Amino acid sequence: MKKTQPSIILILLFLVLLFGLLGWRLFHLQYCQAQNARLHSHDQLHAVVPVSPQRGAIMDCRGRILADVQEKYILFADRNSFPGPDMLKEAAWQLQPILDIPSHEICAAIYGGLTPGYIKLKEGITTDQRDEIQACNLHGIGIQTDWERIYPCGALTSHVVGYVGYLEDKREGVAGLELKYNSLLEGREGKEVYVVDSRRRPIGMALDDSRDVHNGAGLVLTIDATIQQFVRQALLKQMQKYQAESAVGIVMDPRSGEILALVSLPDFAPSEYSSYVEDKKLPLKNRALCDPYEPGSIFKPIAVAIALDAGSIRSNDVFYCENGYFTQYKIGEFLNHPYGNLSVKQILAKSSNVGMAKIGLKIGQKRLYDGVRLFGFGEKTGIDLPGEDAGVVWPTNVWDKYTVTRIPFGHALTVTTIQIIRAYCIIANDGHPVIPHLVKAMIDEKGQVFPVPPDPGFVAQVIKQETAKWLRETALVEVIKNGTGDQAKIAGIQTWGKTGTANIARPREQGGGYDEKNYIASFVGGAPAEKPELVVLVSIRKPNRSLGIGYSGGRVAAPVFREIMENTLKYMHGGQLPEKAVASKAADMPDS
Amino acid sequence: MVRSRGSDSLSYLIEAVVLLLMATGTVFVFSAGANVKTTYDFRHFYAFTTLRNIVLFPLAVLVMYLVARMDYRRLGFLRSGASKSWTPYLLALAISLLVLTLFIGQGIGPERQFARRWLRIPLGSANISFQPSELAKWAVIFFLAAFMVYKSDSMKSLFRGFLPACAVIGVVVLLIITQDFGTAAFIGLVAFLLLTMGGIRWWHLLGPVLAVIPLGFILWITAPNFLLTETRLHRIEGYLARFWPDLYPDVTAAAQNYQADQSLVAISTGGIWGTGLGKGILKYGHLPEDTSDFIFAIICEEMGFVGGVFVILLFVVFVVLGFAVVVRCRDRLGKLLAGGIVTAIGLQAAINIGVVTVVLPTKGIPLPFISAGGTSMLVTAAAVGVLLNVARNCEDETTLVAQPCEETPIVPRGTCLSFRGVRA
Repeated sequence: MKKTQPSIILILLFLVLLFGLLGWRLFHLQYCQAQNARLHSHDQLHAVVPVSPQRGAIMDCRGRILADVQEKYILFADRNSFPGPDMLKEAAWQLQPILDIPSHEICAAIYGGLTPGYIKLKEGITTDQRDEIQACNLHGIGIQTDWERIYPCGALTSHVVGYVGYLEDKREGVAGLELKYNSLLEGREGKEVYVVDSRRRPIGMALDDSRDVHNGAGLVLTIDATIQQFVRQALLKQMQKYQAESAVGIVMDPRSGEILALVSLPDFAPSEYSSYVEDKKLPLKNRALCDPYEPGSIFKPIAVAIALDAGSIRSNDVFYCENGYFTQYKIGEFLNHPYGNLSVKQILAKSSNVGMAKIGLKIGQKRLYDGVRLFGFGEKTGIDLPGEDAGVVWPTNVWDKYTVTRIPFGHALTVTTIQIIRAYCIIANDGHPVIPHLVKAMIDEKGQVFPVPPDPGFVAQVIKQETAKWLRETALVEVIKNGTGDQAKIAGIQTWGKTGTANIARPREQGGGYDEKNYIASFVGGAPAEKPELVVLVSIRKPNRSLGIGYSGGRVAAPVFREIMENTLKYMHGGQLPEKAVASKAADMPDS
Repeated sequence: MVRSRGSDSLSYLIEAVVLLLMATGTVFVFSAGANVKTTYDFRHFYAFTTLRNIVLFPLAVLVMYLVARMDYRRLGFLRSGASKSWTPYLLALAISLLVLTLFIGQGIGPERQFARRWLRIPLGSANISFQPSELAKWAVIFFLAAFMVYKSDSMKSLFRGFLPACAVIGVVVLLIITQDFGTAAFIGLVAFLLLTMGGIRWWHLLGPVLAVIPLGFILWITAPNFLLTETRLHRIEGYLARFWPDLYPDVTAAAQNYQADQSLVAISTGGIWGTGLGKGILKYGHLPEDTSDFIFAIICEEMGFVGGVFVILLFVVFVVLGFAVVVRCRDRLGKLLAGGIVTAIGLQAAINIGVVTVVLPTKGIPLPFISAGGTSMLVTAAAVGVLLNVARNCEDETTLVAQPCEETPIVPRGTCLSFRGVRA
């Protein structure tokens, strides 16, 4: 054979070409399509085990636990792990005595589950049950550890802390601080990614895909559980006595804006929140924030402050308060008292509506509106709780001729109790506004504490220092000494404040106007007068007038104020009132 | 021992390439079989594919060198007549083993239920399985080469040359086809390629092709389950569904596609550089035939595109070197033997890689030198031994002179040179 046959060359070329094409196919699979195919096969080759983070604890300012987590075991089955019904029956037989569930029900649960893989069998098994099941070493049955939210203080701080519920299968804060700081508290879910064999048994962990779990941060609140308890006890007692519908009590440090106690009654047990959803008394509603109402007389000092500050009146002006009824503007006094001439101080002390109307006329529409807005009404205070209502302050262009006389005694606008206490804090704080807040510090998962810097608020002066001082030390002290607030008197310390007995506006479909039988009895004030440490608000809605034991702010709310104020001051100063404490300390000290 | 330098280096190069391929195979069969969780019980040593292959590697090399030392001309019919040649005995052994397998053979792996491909020889604790079709493949190639040299004058004749050759091919193919369609078809294909090398008229090939079509049709009508078993049908449907998914909407999810799907997953997981030797995931049960037919997918997963192309290049080099032997060889028998061996190995590798990369439907054809499997490995090594022997002797002048002479005695390699002077 001299010449190579062409068929040999052809076969060689054919083979080389074939290998070339295969090489190209390989390149196409491993380079061009690789990303796509890897995405498709990831689930087959890996098993992802989510690691739920511990939700952060919530503590009061002294470190007492208000909300925490507790371990909980969930028994689950992986239906794909049972090759045949025999293995499933065997597993169910073994589980039956431990769980005390008939084995056929276990089988039915596993076969009837809606999801193809993971089936939750029982939640909240005990530690003993967990150990027994683990000892059985059943294929396809697993125990998952989860965290359960617990609230050791129960209803005490329910409206502050809120509660945790399920939103679309994901556990989240639904109300209160749990909702507001949810992203901080919940932490970040971790995941352990395992490479698995064809029967989904793990071979090793894929560290690149896995992610560490980050537990949630803890919160330290400004709330003091003891003060909270004083407020809640006092309010509950009074509510029962007067068969009232609801009540709100707030204790606040006027200098920093820290809220030491915030109680809204009726309240609820946070771990059983779902049982309250249908409740007609709406215990889930935080009335301190979400219940705007016409404030009535407790608004009067605000109007006086605006008038004095604007120079519309002077503190020693005297107003003629008619004979119980201001015909021109259709304004009657409480119980139609004919007051005659009253000074500004006396107007507040006697709570004269006619006097306030005349002050309102002196201020004028624009300055009154501006002043009310400057005190923070008609907008949210910025408290770190969700669901706050802004209340309504109508702009002057929709005012009629009566509006300017109604606002000064707390009608024709709606406010929330948190707005009121904040306005009183401005008076207590020599005209400086503060932002009410509840969180003092955060504690991250490593235990490091990050204090929430006291918000400087907007550095501002809402009213002049003298105005605030005069109001506090002269006018509002007069309310206690010779006015409606005599029940708020505390021996040994000078309290100041203002009573309010607000009419409740009837809904329009019931004819509008005011409900003549039901009132909101409130008292808001502080102590001591010179340098107030605390501002306390008490508001009790619909005390039962037919009991014949009173329904006014002075009768219903002022005693509660006194009790809270006295207890709290003594608690904060080692069992004594601060002025006495100073005095006794001075006495103890040797002459220097 | 005097040999020309060209053919010498050719045989060394072929040796090197084949050893590299076998070593690669051993490494990856070990990698694919070695799981993190496997605990070895050495009393059943031979039962572990992984460990068995480590023993097989040196054994195969030994077989290769032993065969390479035997003169390939013993496979031919010329010198001593057909009765002294090894080829008829080899063919007879292969055919009788095939017949035996039809009765007592067993299936292995996915074909366990319906295919009889393996002879199981119990030897104490070691249970040796033997696949006669592998032997038959080489027997057919050797026989054809010898036959075409023997009948070199009449190969262009239909009745004296072509049809007798076809009869032998037909018997072997028919014995295998019911149990192992892939191997049978492969043997037929290689045989016809070899026939073209042997110089038959190309239009003679049309005869069998035209005969197969009505025959297959009749079979399909009369006994549809004979050739087209359910599994086979599903495999083909699964393959077609890849290209025309609209025609077979319910096939894509079928379990028959599983191997092919997993193979694609393995290959694409590898990417360009691979996950690293031993770090593949698919070998943990995801790819069932990971050590045997789909070993190439594991190589692609662990060593990536680079590793896959390396293996393909090794085969290309092997084929090119093999054909260099064919071209250089002056002896017609050597030419045809080398051509048949190289074509068979190269084509088998291409088909296997085609199956693994899902260009072809799934067929049970191993990757030469690399897939685990004793019979395939040893028999292929023996065939390469023949190729090496051809390469070493291809420029021997004796063969050139001996060609027309039927009375030439068997001349052992090495001693033949001393005769050269006498006869020249």
